[in-house]
Amino acid sequence: MKLLARAARIILGALFLWASVTKVPDMAAFAESVANYRIVPPSLVPVVAAAVVGVEIAAGVALMLNLWARAAALLLAGLLAVFTVGLASALGRGIDLACGCFGGTDAATWWTVLRDVVLLGLALGVAASSRPDPARAP
Amino acid sequence: MNTVAQMALVAAVGSALGLAANALSPHPAVLQQPVLSAAESGGGACAMPASDVVSRSTSAPPPWRPVRIGVDEAKGLCTACLAGFVDARGPHEFAHGHIQNAVHLPAAGHPDEAAVIAQLRTYALVVVYDGDYSCAVADDVAGRLRRAGLPDVRVLQGAWPAWVAAQGPSAAGMCGACGAEAFGK
Repeated sequence: MKLLARAARIILGALFLWASVTKVPDMAAFAESVANYRIVPPSLVPVVAAAVVGVEIAAGVALMLNLWARAAALLLAGLLAVFTVGLASALGRGIDLACGCFGGTDAATWWTVLRDVVLLGLALGVAASSRPDPARAP
Repeated sequence: MNTVAQMALVAAVGSALGLAANALSPHPAVLQQPVLSAAESGGGACAMPASDVVSRSTSAPPPWRPVRIGVDEAKGLCTACLAGFVDARGPHEFAHGHIQNAVHLPAAGHPDEAAVIAQLRTYALVVVYDGDYSCAVADDVAGRLRRAGLPDVRVLQGAWPAWVAAQGPSAAGMCGACGAEAFGK
């Protein structure tokens, strides 16, 4: 069980680290993807897009190094919840948008929503299995 | 330090990292510049290609290019039944939702295309739309209709997302002629 929890933590961290790395080469395109969700005011979109990428990097590294893993997993769970609700809402309204998840321009589908739900479950699982341990905090 | 404080710290460090990554990116987001969604951005969504400006300045007659029509104007025409609407998206997207009374004419063709074109001939103006901000598919279909002899064919600026955002009249259901075939029934 411990091994499974460790694997889940490392996989989740690596996945988000990879997701963030694919966005960095074209941050302007990612900002457009964020804008297309239409849940962030246009003036805040560039800052929010940059912050999302940075949080993915920081949380990904934290998970992989097992530093504040619970906090990192909860933060990613929050991001995933927003992504999932935003995507589902857009698809439900018939808005055709690129997910922007891994730096690509592929159109989001209900499969993307399902993938996010699975990742959300994984993040919550990692958070539940990572006990807060002040002694480990750097 | 409790979990909430750790989350705040990771978020703060992450935000700073993100701003640094943006500054180092070859294509950074301009922080001071608001970013509109494609459907809200009149210039970015299905805008007239810049090459049109060049072609107008030459003496040779420019090749025909689909003319854009704004969503507000198209809505008025739709409500007054003064234009025919053509949905160039795939059958699943059409079934999920389309402009009211639009006919389905995907890029791949239609089982009864001649009848669809004949129906469209009854309109002085035909508006084509697809689901993508580039309007590439709608441009192709508009070109096809133009070559078939329809006099005034335009492409909806902002595509289907703009129509949805503008709350234009819409309907759902599969295309009568191609639906069953497209859905493998």
